[in-house]
Amino acid sequence: MLEMHDVSRTVDGEVHLADINFTFEAGKLYTILGRTGAGKTSLMRALMGLLPLDRGQVLLDGQDITAHPVWERKMAMVYQQFINYPHLNVLDNVAFPLRRQGVRKAEARARAREFLELVDLGSMLDRRPSQLSGGQQQRVALARALVKEARTLMLDEPLVNLDYKLREQLREQFPRILERNRNSVILYATTEPREAMQLGDEILVMHEGRILDTGPPEEIFDRPANIQVATIMGDPPISTFPGVIEGDTLRLGGGISIPGIRRALPGDGEYLVGVRPIDINIPGPIPAQVAISEVSGSETVVHLITPFGDVLMLSQGVSSYDPDERLEIGFVADNLYFFSTDGRLISAPYGEERA
Amino acid sequence: MARIELRDVAHSYNGGKDYALKPLNMVWEDGRTYALLGPSGCGKTTMLNIISGLLKPSEGRLLFDGVDVTDSKAEGRNIAQVFQFPVIYSTMTVAQNLAFPLVCRGYPVNEIKQRVDSVAELLGLSELMQYPARRLTADQKQLVSMGRGLVREDVSAILLDEPLTVIDPQMKFELRRKLKQINREFGITMVFVTHDQTEAMTFAEEVVVMKDGEIMQRGAPQDLFERPGNTFVGYFIGSPPMNFLSAEVAEGKLSCPNTKFSVPADNLGGKGEIQIGFRPEFVELVDPEKANFATARIEKVDNLGVETIVTLTLPGNLTVRAKTTTRFHQDAGDVVGLSVSDDRIQLYSNGQRIGQANEMA
Amino acid sequence: MRTVYLAIKYLALLLWSSFIVFPFLWALSTSFKDANAITSGATYIPWLQFKPSSQGWASLFSDGSTGINIVDPYINSAVVTISASLIAITLGTLAAYGLSRFEFRAGFIKNNDITFFFISQRIMPPIVLAIPFFLMLKTLGLLDTVYGLILVYVALLLPIAVWVMIDFFGNIPKELDELAMIDGCRPIGAFFRVILPNSTPGLVVAGMFCLIFGWNDFFFAFTLTFTKVQLLPVAIVSLNSSVTPWWSLSAFALISVAPLVLIAFLVENFLSKGSLAGAIR
Repeated sequence: MLEMHDVSRTVDGEVHLADINFTFEAGKLYTILGRTGAGKTSLMRALMGLLPLDRGQVLLDGQDITAHPVWERKMAMVYQQFINYPHLNVLDNVAFPLRRQGVRKAEARARAREFLELVDLGSMLDRRPSQLSGGQQQRVALARALVKEARTLMLDEPLVNLDYKLREQLREQFPRILERNRNSVILYATTEPREAMQLGDEILVMHEGRILDTGPPEEIFDRPANIQVATIMGDPPISTFPGVIEGDTLRLGGGISIPGIRRALPGDGEYLVGVRPIDINIPGPIPAQVAISEVSGSETVVHLITPFGDVLMLSQGVSSYDPDERLEIGFVADNLYFFSTDGRLISAPYGEERA
Repeated sequence: MARIELRDVAHSYNGGKDYALKPLNMVWEDGRTYALLGPSGCGKTTMLNIISGLLKPSEGRLLFDGVDVTDSKAEGRNIAQVFQFPVIYSTMTVAQNLAFPLVCRGYPVNEIKQRVDSVAELLGLSELMQYPARRLTADQKQLVSMGRGLVREDVSAILLDEPLTVIDPQMKFELRRKLKQINREFGITMVFVTHDQTEAMTFAEEVVVMKDGEIMQRGAPQDLFERPGNTFVGYFIGSPPMNFLSAEVAEGKLSCPNTKFSVPADNLGGKGEIQIGFRPEFVELVDPEKANFATARIEKVDNLGVETIVTLTLPGNLTVRAKTTTRFHQDAGDVVGLSVSDDRIQLYSNGQRIGQANEMA
Repeated sequence: MRTVYLAIKYLALLLWSSFIVFPFLWALSTSFKDANAITSGATYIPWLQFKPSSQGWASLFSDGSTGINIVDPYINSAVVTISASLIAITLGTLAAYGLSRFEFRAGFIKNNDITFFFISQRIMPPIVLAIPFFLMLKTLGLLDTVYGLILVYVALLLPIAVWVMIDFFGNIPKELDELAMIDGCRPIGAFFRVILPNSTPGLVVAGMFCLIFGWNDFFFAFTLTFTKVQLLPVAIVSLNSSVTPWWSLSAFALISVAPLVLIAFLVENFLSKGSLAGAIR
């Protein structure tokens, strides 16, 4: 169990971490989702002891380790850049942390070989890192992090610098590769919502040094705490615009209103309305103009301009729309999200109410 | 504006021992958007550098609008190039950055201002004109790099070498949108190099898939997706990749062991190893009784939010994946039925596409 | 057009290299001349223009009145230069690592100021340093000794070592040190086990500079020694008496330069192999 209490860090007025309170449990993989600069790396560095804290504590199994230097914390880390020891061959790279723990050379190498086989590098033991491809280098880094079987394992966007297909391949292998480390706390930072959903037992959504929302992936996807979380979780993101509820009618800008919504709506008043890209259909009562449409294999993402703002639509199949083409769209009214004007979630179409 | 033509172009970095780019002929039509897609080392950057003039091909000729430019220098080709990492003059403001190529060429001041303003407006940088360029975010910097290529009115093509690598997913949308807008308004040919299939497919009207210095397939995104020309394209395009299963020809029928798949096929004898391929997107999960393709056990369910990927095990230990965007409520261990329409099943012989299941009769 | 351009390029290169090589050729031909050949105008080609004589070279290896003592200055120069370089590189590498990885602050003085302080030692003209060095060595009783010279040379070479190594360490990603510490090394362990083994190119460059500057220094060798200790440059200059033996002087100069040529050759070979360039991404 790894706890963070009020952990904060600000450098030259730039907030890296702000009042982070969170408890990581052993045996779970936490994906930390956020844009570049959201504080994902800072959070990991704070736990490792690589980031000096302005205030706050880090506790490992109840013991305050805030003052422990990094080399005493026995954690493991994989960077997004491919960082390996250039002067050591693959086998000794992976044996290195074990040797530092005082494991005898022969045993360290035997264990290193085991983990290198796990990441499919069993045949490259004698190579130097510079003789490997990017994907192989990152596998070495992974093996070196795993071989320690540390209580805490951190992966900081480990796939971001790999080619798309390599990324897909390695991501699929993660469950198998991480098997022997499954009793540890595993943190995995990413900017991609799909990756966060696929790998995480729980997701931490971060923005500007704060944790905005935490919970199981489906729960956060279905009931994001606020607009920012909904936006960060969506790929393509949710579209939001102001609206007013009167009875069972939703009034939007530009004189457009959607009457007769059957779902239980929040009380009358002003809201920010969110619509997921999959919840838009054609035809409907709303005039829209195509800004651009993008075909991605089986799906089409259409950027639409409506009287009340820009809206993203994701339609199944390949349909091509010309720029400036005029469409009549409708929303699946039952699937709309309602946020308060300051962005908190008021009503969501799916999922249980979250505590 | 230019129509770019490669005639028998090939390139070798080591005097012909092996080719980074094998001999090929290709035409890039004026005003269209293209993507060069392939894994690292497939030759896509080599091809880009040949077009921009950074590299002289070891064989073949390069023509712009019919004029041979093989021997002319990069500066003479009026090509703007945008790189993976934004290149900006960090000591200058946004406006100065944009004006720089014109200032260097000695344009009159009022013309510079006019062109810079119009490009800035197009890119949505008008508000930031007096802002120091080093303080911009990564995506804004990339816009500035792009803008510097656009201010010259004589630009005939923009080459983009993985320009979205350092951009956050949420901002990639915006940048792609701007790029397409530029393409539409100026009619500039755009070539976009990437290893990311989604990026290639969303950006380009035509995608060229490369591997080991060769062109694997060239076509509209939809073609590559629905009718991959070979198993590599089927694997490389689409995530998860296309499902491939071995098939057999017997008694005038093509069938696939452990499935209900069977189509009449008279002329497939002696075609070598035959596989059927179908996209996870085209697999429908239905009641086991209603399935036209197979029944399978659910191995794993990955909910990715917008979509769900279901990994299935067919009898005979075959793995097939299905992708669905409707909410999926079954769990690992459950037995489901798979339906795939015949017009969604492609046939491959020795890795090359030979047709579609519904066309074989 | 292209051929004209190439011709001009090679012509310029040829001119420049002959400008560089000429002094060596001149010294080489002079070292085989005798008094007659030297006084009879500028000649370059042996046998054809003058009769070669081995007198200059022989004088370096003979004793007595015609002989020149080359061995002692050679040993002195080697001892002083090599020890001073080793000390300077050891201290300089440690200092550079500290300055590139840790933040120091003493009032308004920060890392960059300390770095500048090191390098500023070489901004001052040597004459400014000569008198303080002289007085210091005198107080310590180290004037005219090898130890005193080593001390002074360390002070002169340290800025070079620090400068080269700070630049080198700056290009090694800090993540590499962090990784070593994550893997259980203390900072000093990270330095010795990970950073140092990957620093060969930097050390070679720094070492080369130190050896060249140390070996070639004349000014301090001249002002801080009298009779007991003589370094090579001083020994060469001291040949320049009323009747200068140009033949011996030339031979002497060529022999003095030989180790540097050898080093330059080895280093060039090493660097062109790109031994470690690009190992760290």
